[in-house]
Amino acid sequence: MIHFENVSKRFPGGNYGLSDISLKIESGAMAFVTGHSGAGKSTLLRLIALLERPTRGQLLIDGRNIGRLPDRDVPAHRRRVGLIFQDHRLLNDRTVFDNVALPLHVAGVSVREVGRRVRASLDKVGLLKKEKSLPLTLSGGEQQRVGIARAIVSRPPILLADEPTGNLDPALSREIMQLFLAFNQVGITMLIASHDLDLIRTLNRPIINLHQGRLT
Amino acid sequence: MRRQSGESAALSGFLDQHRRSAVRSIRDLLRNPTATLMTLLVIGITLALPASLLSLLQLSNSVAGSQPNIPSLSMFLKPGTPDEQALTLSATLEQKAGVERVELLTSADAMQEFREYSGFGDALDALDENPLPHVLLLQLDSEIGSGSLQKLIEELRAMPETGMIDYDQEWIERLQAISLALRRVIEAIGLGLALAVMLIIGNTIRLEILNRKEEIEVSRLVGGSNAFIRRPFLYTGLAYGFFGALLAWMLLSLLLIIVSGPLDRLAELYGASVSMAFFGLQAFVILLPVGILLGLAGAWLAVSRHLSVIRPE
Repeated sequence: MIHFENVSKRFPGGNYGLSDISLKIESGAMAFVTGHSGAGKSTLLRLIALLERPTRGQLLIDGRNIGRLPDRDVPAHRRRVGLIFQDHRLLNDRTVFDNVALPLHVAGVSVREVGRRVRASLDKVGLLKKEKSLPLTLSGGEQQRVGIARAIVSRPPILLADEPTGNLDPALSREIMQLFLAFNQVGITMLIASHDLDLIRTLNRPIINLHQGRLT
Repeated sequence: MRRQSGESAALSGFLDQHRRSAVRSIRDLLRNPTATLMTLLVIGITLALPASLLSLLQLSNSVAGSQPNIPSLSMFLKPGTPDEQALTLSATLEQKAGVERVELLTSADAMQEFREYSGFGDALDALDENPLPHVLLLQLDSEIGSGSLQKLIEELRAMPETGMIDYDQEWIERLQAISLALRRVIEAIGLGLALAVMLIIGNTIRLEILNRKEEIEVSRLVGGSNAFIRRPFLYTGLAYGFFGALLAWMLLSLLLIIVSGPLDRLAELYGASVSMAFFGLQAFVILLPVGILLGLAGAWLAVSRHLSVIRPE
């Protein structure tokens, strides 16, 4: 469970990313975060992955206040949170396989296990045949799916996606959302930031609306 | 498929991580062979310089120091001292404390020897009389202390027949003092150059870190610990240190081969024997760990200064 309790994030310089946010996302739930750019969607997700720390309030994940997590425990926390980005953040000098394998390498999974899990993950996003390709030889939609495969390969209980369909056409966007629904079906908690209101309204899931860092 | 037990899976995962980092470091070095070779050459030459100086100093010491270390002194008598008097004196001196043996080289003997070895035979014939003095060669007790030696020398000086006393040991001591001073200088230079190697490697790693900024960021995003992110750079530093030291050793060996000819002749003249193989091995055993340590230290320096700056965007 993800539980924000009066959480604020103020950036150096005085700008508020988020002010006084309180909300609960149950384990296994799926929700969308919407709002204009600059409304604090990314900040919300970045707090959960501890890419930022809250300046005020409590952020509890499974009952633990992660705002206070010591630096040395942050990597272990991030391994439990899969991240998906609008710009994929793939390493272009490595093959699809190596990109997807990175979270497993980081976690110290043995070579034999890595091969098995990377292929299982690529299979889920339908890219099993592309494991030897370099990311730049793939289409935008395929690159995004490599990013998704990388996010799920270590089987994290939480998956966060920041504008995952921002660069994709409607048909591809729908495909990606179907994938997320499937992940949610097997129990992964999903939080997706998107401003594609037309698409997310059709999916019938709770929508968290942010405006200038506040819930509306 | 049979599942590994948790512990052995964790261990093999850990070893896999290290192997992957090491392989990746080597592959990255090979990807840019010219730049890598240049860096290695700089490291190699920098390490080879103090190592060569030290080796050469040690070689010359071993040539000089391999003489049997029996103190002896030469006592030149005043010209014109009669033969009988020299003979008596030699017998007297043999009885003195601290003196083992006295050998008399008469002026005639000396002339004969000089004529044979110098090649000035004809010129010597032109002289009216023999200009060479008698020489008493005193072999001293090897256990003689410097105090009693000093006393003996003073005593000999006070004798009316004494012209000049030449004490060999003085030369050896002087040589040793010079070589000690030289050694200190070389060690200081070596220390400075070792520091330079560390900084060279550190700077190379710093550039490498900047090159791989993207990779470091993504590694952090997916939960890479500091140790994980540091590891490949430490391996790279280690590789630079190791191969740089290897190159330094090869350069040094080349130098030893070049000087071995002349040095062998020198050693022959002094009746010493010098094993080049031994010096080569010694340099190898010292250079490699030093290189590895400097590489790791340089990499550590760069990594601890620059990695913390890179945070995921």
